[in-house]
Amino acid sequence: MPPDAIVERPARPNNVQLTIDGTPVSVPQGTTIFDAARAHGISIPTLCHQQNENPVGVCRVCVVDVGQRVYAASCVRQAEPGMTVKTNTEPVVGVRKTLVELLMSDHPSPCARQQHSGDCELERLAAQAGLGQSRFPTRTTPRGHDDSSLAIQVDHESCILCDRCIRGCDDIRNNWVLARRGKGYQAGIAFDNNLPMGESSCVSCGECMVSCPTGALTNRGVVKSHLEGDTVDPTFLTGLPVFENVSGTFLGLNRNAIVERRFKAGEIICREGEFGATAFYIVDGMAEVYLASPIAHVKTEGGARGFLSKLTSLLTSRDEDGRNEESTRSYIPIDASVDLPYRSPIAELGPGELFGEMTCMSYYPRSATVRAKTDCTMLEMLRNVLDIMQRNKTFREQLDRTYKKRALDSHLRSVPVLAPLTADFIDHLREHVELLRFQPGQVICSQGEVADSFYLVRLGFVKVSQHRPGGDIVQAYLARGSYFGEMAFLTGTPRMATCTALDHVEVVRIPGDDFQLMLDRFPDIRRKLETESAEHVEQNRQRDAQVADVSMDQFLSQGLMEAQSLLILDLDRCTRCDQCVRACADAHDGVSRLIREGLRFDRYLVATSCRQCRDPLCMVGCPVGSIRRRNSLEVIIEDWCIGCGQCANNCPYGNINMHPFPVEIDDLLHPGRTVASVKVKATSCDLCLGHAEPSCVYACPHDAAHRVNPPEFFGGLLKRQKIAKQ
Amino acid sequence: MRIDQTHRTWFIGTMAGVLVAAVIYVPYTLTSPEGANGGTAVGLVYGSLASACMLFAGLLGARKKVPIWRIGRAQTWMRGHLWLGFVSFPLILFHSGFRFGIGLTRALMWLLVVVFASGIVGAILQHFMPRLTTERIPLETIYEQIGRVRLQLVAEAQTVIDEVSAALAGNVSQATAQQRAASASAGTMGGVTVASGLQVDEGASAQLQEFFRREMQPYVANGGSRGMPLADRSRSQSMFQQLRLLLPPNLHPAIEDLENICEEKRELDRQVQYHRILHGWLLVHIPASYALLLLGAVHAVMALRY
Repeated sequence: MPPDAIVERPARPNNVQLTIDGTPVSVPQGTTIFDAARAHGISIPTLCHQQNENPVGVCRVCVVDVGQRVYAASCVRQAEPGMTVKTNTEPVVGVRKTLVELLMSDHPSPCARQQHSGDCELERLAAQAGLGQSRFPTRTTPRGHDDSSLAIQVDHESCILCDRCIRGCDDIRNNWVLARRGKGYQAGIAFDNNLPMGESSCVSCGECMVSCPTGALTNRGVVKSHLEGDTVDPTFLTGLPVFENVSGTFLGLNRNAIVERRFKAGEIICREGEFGATAFYIVDGMAEVYLASPIAHVKTEGGARGFLSKLTSLLTSRDEDGRNEESTRSYIPIDASVDLPYRSPIAELGPGELFGEMTCMSYYPRSATVRAKTDCTMLEMLRNVLDIMQRNKTFREQLDRTYKKRALDSHLRSVPVLAPLTADFIDHLREHVELLRFQPGQVICSQGEVADSFYLVRLGFVKVSQHRPGGDIVQAYLARGSYFGEMAFLTGTPRMATCTALDHVEVVRIPGDDFQLMLDRFPDIRRKLETESAEHVEQNRQRDAQVADVSMDQFLSQGLMEAQSLLILDLDRCTRCDQCVRACADAHDGVSRLIREGLRFDRYLVATSCRQCRDPLCMVGCPVGSIRRRNSLEVIIEDWCIGCGQCANNCPYGNINMHPFPVEIDDLLHPGRTVASVKVKATSCDLCLGHAEPSCVYACPHDAAHRVNPPEFFGGLLKRQKIAKQ
Repeated sequence: MRIDQTHRTWFIGTMAGVLVAAVIYVPYTLTSPEGANGGTAVGLVYGSLASACMLFAGLLGARKKVPIWRIGRAQTWMRGHLWLGFVSFPLILFHSGFRFGIGLTRALMWLLVVVFASGIVGAILQHFMPRLTTERIPLETIYEQIGRVRLQLVAEAQTVIDEVSAALAGNVSQATAQQRAASASAGTMGGVTVASGLQVDEGASAQLQEFFRREMQPYVANGGSRGMPLADRSRSQSMFQQLRLLLPPNLHPAIEDLENICEEKRELDRQVQYHRILHGWLLVHIPASYALLLLGAVHAVMALRY
């Protein structure tokens, strides 16, 4: 508003009379010069101050001449009676220009904000002041970036230490995450105790970002993709409890990352095995979640045995053809708040529930098919919005409540060893367990620390590793339905391994006292856990003994050190008769799990067959947890594999094959009819469980095929070679 | 199967068996009025033992049909096949008194010789050939996949040729209008014979395509191409050397790629050759063995009955 538009108000008894730029003004006592000037249409530039925050006067850009020895920061200096304020004299403008120039010397130009939207307040001031190249030397040591948050990009280089973000976080949102770190030249903003933003307790409300005058805190550019559906008004979202306390501006910036979708009853929302990048939040209506893939394993008729017979793959269910590696699990874990009962893998989801978190956060394939049971309204969202939701305290509480109410029971019962738990004890646990969330790479518990909790994995993958003098050894990857942290309680020792979140992980924490109570009340559980614990200790001991013997750079490069059991073929003996392949096919219903090709090491061919790796990367990302270790060695694939191919993609050695088989599926064009289609399931070597020796080795007539422990076998070989050279 | 020190027990057992049989045979043949004869008690014992050995050896084929039956490790069966099959030959000779006889007996004896000889050849081949294959064919692939690999090599070569042709065409198309005009009149510009350069590029591209179409594609795509120039390494080298002269140095790595593809094809041909050698003898050994067992059974029935 131009100054001449100001209407002079009559002076009130408690008001202060002063003059600003020759204009007499009257303001209530306690008003700052900045506010007084603004109220009368006189603009004073500033950087560190904005109207909704308490002034701190750190940038000094708002300096004015109050007729004293030094210029005063108008945002903090209160108006005094009779004060004569000059805001725009040449010396004041000169000082201001110098201050901006100094700030610009420590600010990359253009910063991210200036590049994206052209509204960096510092750069605008510099442009207004006609500043070009700064006369002052720039900083030589970089201050760094922090890309750990999915929603907000932190560029410390652009930070001018105005503290607007800190006041937004602490005073406005009362989150108390942001603060200053360091002193003088080393000063900067910090999250919690100087943690990366993504690992801090930041709830991604976006207040800091909308407060920041420069490109130090900006919205991450992940909102360009346009989802199918109706754009949602941010005010509607902020009205939902799950978005309570989230900045509307922030939701506005992420407008394209969340859409409203309506589904008619019977409509498919997502299909198992498909890749995606979104999660769904049910606003109203009911949905059914189920596995469309048959729970069965692949069996091939003919081919391997018959000379002229046709190779046909069929699926055989457990009822028809039981397998001796059968799991005793009664629930199939999926990427939703519920698990699916094994016998009838179908469940319902209702308003306020979320599904597709792992697909959205970690890009895993969809774990189940979801169909609208009634007409549904859902919010489909991308990663950054889901991240905001998951950090929202209200949503966390809601998720926690829903989990405890609906899923805790089935989750505990899905763990075979916890099957004896009674309903009353589960009710007791309901009051005490806690859902905890961890970012990728975040340590959940560390080797050597005193145990205070037992954990169940609800979402994501946890890496269990042990620190050894030669380096860390990965003991296992734990998926949903697995548990950890029991050994320290059973043995009364500190934690024996470090558990780290491999991706976005959620665990259920059972406090130590409750776990101890469980062990005391259910001796069966204690006994089973003790048995498993003893097995793990023995396996670890054996592994350590093997690893200590070997140091072989050359076969580290082939990944052979990672293997626990290698199928090798002595090429000096092998007549390439393929008897091993035939035996494998015969032993596995006609589907061979080995290919007589692969890397060569010395005169040995490392056949393409599961190596039972120490670090079984194949297990990471299975959306339904159907690939798992048995007795910590053999990797087996359960019958509920949905054929997404994640394990086959993850295996660095190409040792998992996707085997096709014919199925009948619903004809989308003609409802009620079915059409022939092809699905796939993963197959891999299971070491011919139940036999003393794998069939491939047993059937080799030339003594060429061997299953060996690499460190033992190649260790001896290399020692012999070394001696021979000497 | 490689015959090494792990066969010591079988070897000693076999030799001991042969020695015992020979020790018994000498007095038997000297004391028999008509010499050693299959119809005598001792002769029948020799015949029965030899038949049992041959039968066991013959069962290896059946054992292989059921690789997952836990009825003894396949290598034990193979050792038995080798050594009992070996010992059956002297036993039959002792049984027949070193006579071939006539008719069915004669046929049987010749079949035995064929089976025994082919078996010995097979054992020798299986002892040496796997190592030879390993040494000489570093890029060995699955035998049944060789046809597919050949097609992949053709596709790979085609890609290289297309890239080289595109690069050469690019050189021509990037020429300025002035250069093109000079090229058309075969003149010079600034002391550089522009025209000849462009003509060389166009000509080289055509020659390369022609080489691929006439020589390389038929060679790489087909098995049994022994008579073709590229099958011979030295001739192949000289052909590729000529191609190098045609092309600018920056395209020489592509020529090396093509040369490597031909080298891989030669290796595949060698693998086919070795594989045939390694398994070819079975074409004689298996039918002859079946015939021997069948006729041997007929012989036994007839001899015992009549």
